[in-house]
Amino acid sequence: MLDPRQKLRRNTLLALFGTIVIVQNLVPVLGNIPIGPLSITLIHITVIVAAIVLGPVQGMTVGGIWGMITFIRAFIWPTSPLAVICFTNPLISVLPRILVGTVAGYGFLWLKRHFSIRKSMVVAAMAGSMTNTLLVLGQIYLFYHNQAPRLYAVDVRQLLPYLLGVVGTNGIPEMLLAAVTVPLIATALLKVLKKHA
Amino acid sequence: MSNIILGRYIDGDSIIHRMDSRAKLILSLYFIVIVFLCNNWQTYALLGIFTLACVLLSKIKMSFFIKGIRPLIGLILITVLLQLFFTSGGTVYWQWGPFKLTSFGIINSIYIFCRIVLIVVMSTLLTVTTTPLEIADGLESLMAPLRKIKVPVDEIALMISIALRFVPTLMDETQKIINAQRARGVNFGEGNLFKQAKMLIPILIPLFVNSIKRAEDLAVAMEARGYQGGPNRTKYRQQHWHLADTVGIVVFLALTGGLMLLRG
Repeated sequence: MLDPRQKLRRNTLLALFGTIVIVQNLVPVLGNIPIGPLSITLIHITVIVAAIVLGPVQGMTVGGIWGMITFIRAFIWPTSPLAVICFTNPLISVLPRILVGTVAGYGFLWLKRHFSIRKSMVVAAMAGSMTNTLLVLGQIYLFYHNQAPRLYAVDVRQLLPYLLGVVGTNGIPEMLLAAVTVPLIATALLKVLKKHA
Repeated sequence: MSNIILGRYIDGDSIIHRMDSRAKLILSLYFIVIVFLCNNWQTYALLGIFTLACVLLSKIKMSFFIKGIRPLIGLILITVLLQLFFTSGGTVYWQWGPFKLTSFGIINSIYIFCRIVLIVVMSTLLTVTTTPLEIADGLESLMAPLRKIKVPVDEIALMISIALRFVPTLMDETQKIINAQRARGVNFGEGNLFKQAKMLIPILIPLFVNSIKRAEDLAVAMEARGYQGGPNRTKYRQQHWHLADTVGIVVFLALTGGLMLLRG
């Protein structure tokens, strides 16, 4: 069990990471990189950094904050046409984001025992990022390949090629982005945290 | 950054401003649910008139809401066009390859458009008439029953309050970091994906480091003021349930009844 002081420290850290996620949603420069009609998110980087630097449970919390924001935004301030249809389902918007923290956090702890810290960070970041992409798109396929025509009257015969296209155009760049940026940020933060602790 | 309307509070003195934040949160959520009850033009007209009445009651300029929807217009149009050209059923007016224009498609896309606009206006109304701290307080007292299943409601409420409090601070700080790096010769928003990503590192690292330092300072300052957490604290901001809140709930129930009657 944590003593009250550590608990308070953990809570304020989590709150500030949550703030970063909110700010990334509000400021487009920080939240996504637009390339043509598509945009690559950067928010998964914050979640993975939280999972590696603060721990898996904290990563899951920050991921959960991201998921809740995606879920609420799908109703009131959608990010893409796909969001209106799919992210209104909490299983698609919240669950994969929580699991990003889980996979990156526990993955890092496990990898750390076998490889160097830097290599573990790269692999954990890639795994976390892929978890998000594959779970979101996999669930969209699972839920909508026969449901959507009845629910939304959209013709979804082209759904599978489209989703695989999204993996290529969004999932892979996001994974590479996480693999490059996460180790740089996480190493710097681990130093800062050690100095303060 | 300045054209973001959602999430910005505008001071005012209207019935809707004075309503309890808990009532407003519940009713906004409930509104999103009942929008999905609509399935013909009468029901959408009823909800449209109702939303308009709420906007008028809040005494906030109509142009404000239009400004809030404007950044979303492109997105709403794409959604509507997707619905318009990929919906099958009803009379087919025009067809070219996989694209077709059908009567079902036209009706569906109009409904989707109305649905998104209604939800956006209503949620903007919530955030425009309620301060972030009121929303945090409202969420806390709505989550209170979850204490029984061991959900750390107090900790969650504390984190929501801190997070909301620091959103503007962190936004200012981000702007400062961006400007400081610009002065050092970094060009943001140019080049291909990886060039852009490389430019993010000098923003993200100072942002994260500053946030961590801020969190540690905040924890120390809170502890020095005797903060110990837990549910046994008293509250400075008290919430009061007014007659207007009860009336609001009755009006919403009447509205649901009306929608059920008009539903096709």
